[in-house]
This record gives sequence, structure tokens and C-alpha cells, in this order.
Amino acid sequence: MAADRQKAERLADEELMPLIGGKDPEAFAVLFDRHGGAAYSLAYRIVGERDGAEDVTQEAFISVWRSGARFDRARGSVRSWLLSIVRNRAIDALRAGAGRAPKLNFDDEAILEQRPAEEQTEEEAIRHETAGEIRDVLGELPGEQSQVIELAYFGGFSQSEIAGMLGIPLGTVKGRMRLGLRKIRSELAEGWA
Amino acid sequence: MSEIEHERWREELSAYLLGTLEPGEAESLERHLEGCERCQEELRWLAPARDALPETVARMQPPAELRERLLAEVREDARQAAGEAPERRGVLDRLRDFAGPRWRPLAAGAVVLLIVAAVVGYEIGSNGSGGGGGNLTTEETREASGLIAAVSMEGTENGRIELSNVEPLPPDRVLEAWVERDGEIEAVPMLFVPNGEGEAATTIGDMRGVSVVMVTEEPPGGSEAPTSEPIATVTIG
Repeated sequence: MAADRQKAERLADEELMPLIGGKDPEAFAVLFDRHGGAAYSLAYRIVGERDGAEDVTQEAFISVWRSGARFDRARGSVRSWLLSIVRNRAIDALRAGAGRAPKLNFDDEAILEQRPAEEQTEEEAIRHETAGEIRDVLGELPGEQSQVIELAYFGGFSQSEIAGMLGIPLGTVKGRMRLGLRKIRSELAEGWA
Repeated sequence: MSEIEHERWREELSAYLLGTLEPGEAESLERHLEGCERCQEELRWLAPARDALPETVARMQPPAELRERLLAEVREDARQAAGEAPERRGVLDRLRDFAGPRWRPLAAGAVVLLIVAAVVGYEIGSNGSGGGGGNLTTEETREASGLIAAVSMEGTENGRIELSNVEPLPPDRVLEAWVERDGEIEAVPMLFVPNGEGEAATTIGDMRGVSVVMVTEEPPGGSEAPTSEPIATVTIG
């Protein structure tokens, strides 16, 4: 009952998931080709080294392969769901001592685009453009707000841990996090919702 | 629930989305969310901000070996899953479990208490040349459960079934479509699930010789033959 590669490529992510739940390797390959780069990049961003990022990405995709039928499209996109799995596994790896401390800035342009531009698909190019816009939004946040958001999301630290690290009251951490995330949301382009 | 309590939880929604609440707090917030539509709405509004964060990360190309390793593992897994499947019975035999000694369109209708609310055959467009013959035809039925099923096709090609008013599925079930073609029952390859609005659709493709389309709930990965009563049955032509 496997869909062939060509057929799978025409399907939206949400349509691939039942096929993956049905153990269709071609549908899985299409999902990896669409989101493997983002997953690996996020994992690397959190654990900070390539072997660890590979392990996290592999674990996350195998988890999707084994639980594809549990995807609930009412709760968001496949990409968001997948990246949340990657994030949680990377944080677990970080806590287990497998990685280094997180970086504390959004400016990763120095290692951006390791592939030549002509190898990017149109969809990737659009995503890159969107990512640039989002980075702009984040760049406009007060540093104290982006700092707590980074420590929370990419570092996996609890609010009280962040308060201890930065030497500020817990209530201040909560306030900066809330204001920062709300500002990001308000600034996002309409199409992102 | 007091307004003060509501405000206290509302202020924690950002931390909840960022996965940074203290142990135990996330569970308490989730209990509050169950009964608080305002917080649910705010959480839905705020979620794209959290979803945007991984998109800011510098893009790297995963190693080719990672892809190869993953695909080798899932292909082996798929082979094992196929090998461990129970011995196949004839498709028509399995259908008879649910539809009597000889599965026929009308018999199936009796089994599922099908109410044919409407059979709509209409044409859109011209009698085009080539392709699927040009005519877009739709057959629609309404089941006793309230579920509405519509099968559309262009001539004998591009068949598609669309369902609405579908009840939410348990996490371990998917929808699988079947067609009766020249007296044989065939599984439609594309499994599908309803969205949050109770709508679901899948592509059937070739409609040549198809007299009935039906949909059943099946375990993840689908089945070689139906294992439950149809939730929708649409007679073609």
C-alpha cells in the first residue's frame, strides 16, 4: 500500500501523516526532505555539536515514524509538531550533559547557508526570507526580553533557573518573557498565524 | 474561578508555550485551560510566536548519512511490519463479515442504515477533450450519523471523496477508503484523518468501473480489507 515517491511529493504534510502512520517509507522520506534541514539545524542550535544534533534529529524522526498517527492537525502544523519534538529531545540531551551551554544570540548569519543558493528549492528560499523577517522582529526586541526567551526555548532553563543565572527576581523573568513573546506575536506577518 | 486566578494563569501562558514552567505548574495550567476559553484563545493567538523561534535558526544541511540511516531503518521496519501482518483473507470475505453473504451496494446501505439524502449528478465545465473526459460529476450521500460524503470525479479520472461532519477519531484509528470495481473491493492507498472541523478527504484516482465508494475506520497503517462497518457508502452512477 506504499505510495510512490512522486505521489507522496504532491501531498501536503498533513496528508503524509496518515501514510507515515501506515508505515510508508516514501512518505517518510518526503517529510524528511522537507523538514530534515530545519530539524537538524534546530537540534544543532540547542546541543551545539554535530554528533549530538544528528542523534537528536534521528530520534525525533524515528519517533514521528512510530507515532505518526498521533499527529493532531487541529493543534498546529506538522512542521511545528515535528520541531517541538526536536526541541524537547534536544533539551533532554542538553540536560543529560550531551551538549554545551546554549548560545545567547539570534545572530547566526555567519554560518547561514552552507549550501550554495542555487541548491535551494523555492520553498526553502521563501522560508529563508521568512526566517529573515522573523529574525528582524526578534532583533527589535529589547535584549533583556530576547535573552530570557532564548534561555527558555533554546536552553531549556526554567524560569527560576533563569532568574538565578541572571540575578533578577522571578517576577521580572516572567514579565520579560511575557512581554517579549507577545511582541513577537504582534509583529509577525499576517500569514504566519 | 476568580478573576485573580484567571489572570495568574494567563500570565503564565508564555512560559507554558516556551516549555519553561516549573515542574507541576504545566499540569496545573492545563487543568485551568480545560475550563477557560479566554486562556485557550490567548494560547492559540500566542502559539505562532513560539513556532517562529526555530525558524530563526541558521539553516544547516543534515549529513547525507543521517538520511540514509533513517531511511534504512524505516524501510526495514516497514518490511517487518508487512511480514508480521496476519494472513490475508480475501477482501470480499472480510467485507462479508459486515455486509452479509454477498456485499453489494444496496446490502451495504442496509448495514450502515444509509440514508441517501441526495444523489447529485451535475456537470461543470465543457465536454473537454483529453484528460479525464472533461465532466466533473459529484455523487453525494448523507448517512444516518449526519456524516456527509461526496465523491467527485472528472469523467473516469481524478476521483476524490470528501467527508464532512466526521466524528473525531480515537488516536489509534485512521480513515481508509475502499472502492468496488467490477465486483472486487480495492483499498484506496491514501489513508486520511479528519481535521478539527470534522472534514476529511482523500484521493481515489482512477474511477473506471467503480460502482461504490465506502470509508471505514481502521488501525494506523490501514488494513488489507475492512475491519469495521463503513461510516460512509456512496453509490456511483
